[in-house]
Amino acid sequence: MINILILLPFIAGLFILAMPKKARGITGFVVLLVTLINLFITIKLFRTTAMVSFPWAGFGIDFALRLDHFSSFIILAVAGFGFLISLYAVTSMKGTEIYNQFFAYLLVSLTLANGAVLADNLVVMLFFWEGLLVTLFAMITIGNKQAYKTAVKAVVLVGISDLCMMVGIGLTAHLAGTLSMSGIKLGLQSSGGVAYILLMIGAISKAGSMPFHSWIPDAAVDANLPFMAILPAALEKLLGIYFLARISLEMFSLTPDSWISTLLMIVGGITILFAVMMALIQKDYKRLLSYHAISQVGYMVLGIGTAVPAGIIGGLFHMINHAMYKSTLFLTGGSVERQAGTTDLRKLGGLGAKMPITFACFIVAAAAISGVPPFNGFFSKELVYDGALERGWIFYAMAVAGSFFTAASFLKLGHSAYLGKINDGHKNVKEAPITMLIPMIIIASLCILFGLYNSLPLHNLIQPILGEHRLEGHHFSGFPENMMLVIVTVVVLIAAYLNHIFGVKKSGSGLGAVDHIHHAPVLSGIYDKAEKRFFDPYNIGLGIVNIFVVILFKIDRIIDWIVDNFTVKVTYVFTNTIRKIHTGDAALYLSWSLGGMILIVLYIIVR
Amino acid sequence: MISLFILVPLTSVILLNLFKGSLINKIACWFGMLLTLVQIYLIVFPVTCFWDNLSNPLGNYFILNLSADTLSKVMLLMIGIVTFISLMIGQYTYHEETQKFNFANLIILALSGMNGIVLVTDIFSLYVFIEVVAVASFILICLYKDKAGFESAFKYIILSIAATVFMLLSIVLLFLISGDTTFTAINIASKNPTYGFILVVAIGLFTCGAFTKGGLVPFHSWLPDAHSSAPTSISILLSGIVIKVSGLYPLIRLLTMTGGGNESIKNILLIVGTVSILVGALAALGQNDIKRMLAFSSVSQMGYIVLSLGTGTMLGLVGAVFHMFNHSVFKSQLFANSAAVEKQTGTRDMNKLGGIAQKMPFTGTTSIIGMLSICGIPPLAGFWSKLIIVIALWQTAHYGYAFVAVIASVITLAYFLSLQRRVFFGKIASGLENIKEAKAGLIIPVVILAAVTILVGIFFPFIMEKLIMPVGDILK
Repeated sequence: MINILILLPFIAGLFILAMPKKARGITGFVVLLVTLINLFITIKLFRTTAMVSFPWAGFGIDFALRLDHFSSFIILAVAGFGFLISLYAVTSMKGTEIYNQFFAYLLVSLTLANGAVLADNLVVMLFFWEGLLVTLFAMITIGNKQAYKTAVKAVVLVGISDLCMMVGIGLTAHLAGTLSMSGIKLGLQSSGGVAYILLMIGAISKAGSMPFHSWIPDAAVDANLPFMAILPAALEKLLGIYFLARISLEMFSLTPDSWISTLLMIVGGITILFAVMMALIQKDYKRLLSYHAISQVGYMVLGIGTAVPAGIIGGLFHMINHAMYKSTLFLTGGSVERQAGTTDLRKLGGLGAKMPITFACFIVAAAAISGVPPFNGFFSKELVYDGALERGWIFYAMAVAGSFFTAASFLKLGHSAYLGKINDGHKNVKEAPITMLIPMIIIASLCILFGLYNSLPLHNLIQPILGEHRLEGHHFSGFPENMMLVIVTVVVLIAAYLNHIFGVKKSGSGLGAVDHIHHAPVLSGIYDKAEKRFFDPYNIGLGIVNIFVVILFKIDRIIDWIVDNFTVKVTYVFTNTIRKIHTGDAALYLSWSLGGMILIVLYIIVR
Repeated sequence: MISLFILVPLTSVILLNLFKGSLINKIACWFGMLLTLVQIYLIVFPVTCFWDNLSNPLGNYFILNLSADTLSKVMLLMIGIVTFISLMIGQYTYHEETQKFNFANLIILALSGMNGIVLVTDIFSLYVFIEVVAVASFILICLYKDKAGFESAFKYIILSIAATVFMLLSIVLLFLISGDTTFTAINIASKNPTYGFILVVAIGLFTCGAFTKGGLVPFHSWLPDAHSSAPTSISILLSGIVIKVSGLYPLIRLLTMTGGGNESIKNILLIVGTVSILVGALAALGQNDIKRMLAFSSVSQMGYIVLSLGTGTMLGLVGAVFHMFNHSVFKSQLFANSAAVEKQTGTRDMNKLGGIAQKMPFTGTTSIIGMLSICGIPPLAGFWSKLIIVIALWQTAHYGYAFVAVIASVITLAYFLSLQRRVFFGKIASGLENIKEAKAGLIIPVVILAAVTILVGIFFPFIMEKLIMPVGDILK
């Protein structure tokens, strides 16, 4: 059964890639069939455990797969998103040149995600994990004309972090003496801590956390939309946080009193704040969403970083919630792009009346991401707040501030895209086709379900991951116990709404609702620099590399001169001399021979 | 039974001439190929009863003891391969019946002589067989009876006489100290410290002779002329095997049986090797004639082999023998390529050639393989042998020589790239628009040799273990 999960999508992907152009009609059918089979198998495997292992590469590298509660839950989620987004993409990508390529890469990505989740051997996991980098590159490249540059950027950034992870795997294997993930139990002292951090870098950067995030906003503009909905919004978050939880909870024992826990929380807090601040000022639907995709990772990293049960449960719950509402949001963005022809907020407006179902789904997802009760995002955020407050008020403050800006930016987004005056060119916009609406509706209703009836996911999906003994008797479902937190959240949401009203009044439009923050005295300078990619780690890295390039180029010129001019001239002096002395005169040749003999004998005698 | 290696070719030469006729004329080349194939077969798939030394018909009538150790077997394999290729090319390039017949006769005679060289166990018989090969080579070089052929054959004779003098002088000295000419007697005598000085002088003189036969600088001067003016099938034989069997093999034998001489002998080997590498490579850089360039390249590669011997270690010996083997394969192939080029375009002048790879794809591709191997590009065969040589030099702390060996590889690459660029790459030269790929008779041998180069490179560990490393046993 498990092998099918890895083999079937891969073979189907290659099949689609190799399919002739004429047979394109069945591509969609094959994709939906395969993703549906994948989904059924994962449903069937849910809550079962299994261990599969056979020898592979030697040196302790066995092809080992492990199915337990956690991994079965993640592959189920992966399969679910895989199916729904395929359903969406079959319509939204129709007629494009890259139709078959896209689905081939999508299916291969499914295989790789399944493999990375199920792998029990670190090297096998790395194999699948790195494979995702390839499909990531491929899926970005088939976007628009600038996509190639973005794809390179993504590969460089993720590649660097994966390199860290590779070193981390080597170090972990060295310390633990085994490559089997289920057999590793390490502390966080000295080199164990280094190994953990290296693995953590790989995990959180896969999830899209700072400072390896900057390719995501570019990809949001350059790549195809279903790609954004499946990979950065869903699969990569699931994988990254899955691996982070695996290393934090199982392989290493992350405790609240370790400095690494604090480090994780700092990374999480900074990611929340900085990314949401950038999201606030975006003027493009998809780009705005992509910054939120980064910002929300911060909550998950912060939650797991707290290392207290409430925080971890919150972080993991947030992972699945985020995957749901963020893919919904991207899908609404895709609908708008397809129907209205643009995602530039300056050109959009008043679409709510024309596309009511899309608007409704957007409202649900936006409310969920802003943490409005009783949607799912509210409950997971409350748990993260709970955990963060337990560790220090500063982290709590960061998270709540993030919440404020999140709400503000979604008010702005909703207002400028769906309300307000309709653009002249968009008078005839219609609602998106039904196959695109179904995935949105399903995921959006799951957002409501997971909110209203939150004990369902928490009891069945999240809490068993930690195990009863670590929960210390708590149960986290139902309405939050700490009323203080709820009150603060509500106050913050109201503040965000008031801020929005103020901003709209001041600037006169929904788009300008946050302009007073954008143009605030100190912030505007920072924003200007950030918009010019001044803080982009990729650009900073490029700058440093460029200095080396200049130096090496200068050195290269010198070497070039030596090789091209100096050496050649010297060589030809010798060559011509040798040519000249080979006159063809037999007497001369004989004299060389005798001379050589005399020299050799003399040498022997004199020695 | 190993005496058959000498007796069969020898009697076949006699029989072929006794029953000379149009039928025999036609089959002479094929018969030679059959002989060499049997020889290769006997090495690759050893038949135990053949190799035991009990029945030695020749020894009963002549006082001639033969033995085949691991080194001899590798040499026999090389002799078989190169002679086979030479016969194949010759079969295709000679048109006149008599010429072809004479060619086959002389090659089979040379085969007998070369087999004799690697099988005999006393130094005088060794000398006799060297002369057999030399005489056959003299005639083969001027087989076309043109002016250049006679001139270069004359030069070869002159310098061979000098080499003969050196060798005979050395043999006399060795006879003086050991009272016998067998290898064992010389080996025993070499352990007697009172003969130290005479022994070293004898080795030095013999080395001079071997250098002349092997074409080392400054004794190399016959080689470029002879190789370039001889028919290409003969160039293959000379460059591929004769210079190794009649030059370097006796040197290896003498060095192993006398314990390698003293430090000055090693220094001579190292210096002469280095000078040969550099002069050969630099001279090759300035050539316009493909075959002349290949000939100078042979001088350079012989330098590598001698340099490797100069380390005096087992690894050095192994590297030298391996490089000899590889060189015999890829240099034969490159000469065969030049034969194809000359046959199809009518010229060997690189300035008149250009861009013919598109018209002659097999020739172009195989010549690139041969070139990459000779320059030591992994994973081809030439890389491994050069690597072993450099390691051997490094182990014995000859860092400077190791550096030269590596740098000379770059020069090798330079002249071979210039050859490739001027002959095979780029725009097609004017007047060559209508050339075609050579016929199968010229293509099959080069493809076989290129395949050997690639396979030896890829299955290097296997070849190393089965064929090359056992050569080190002769030092024990």
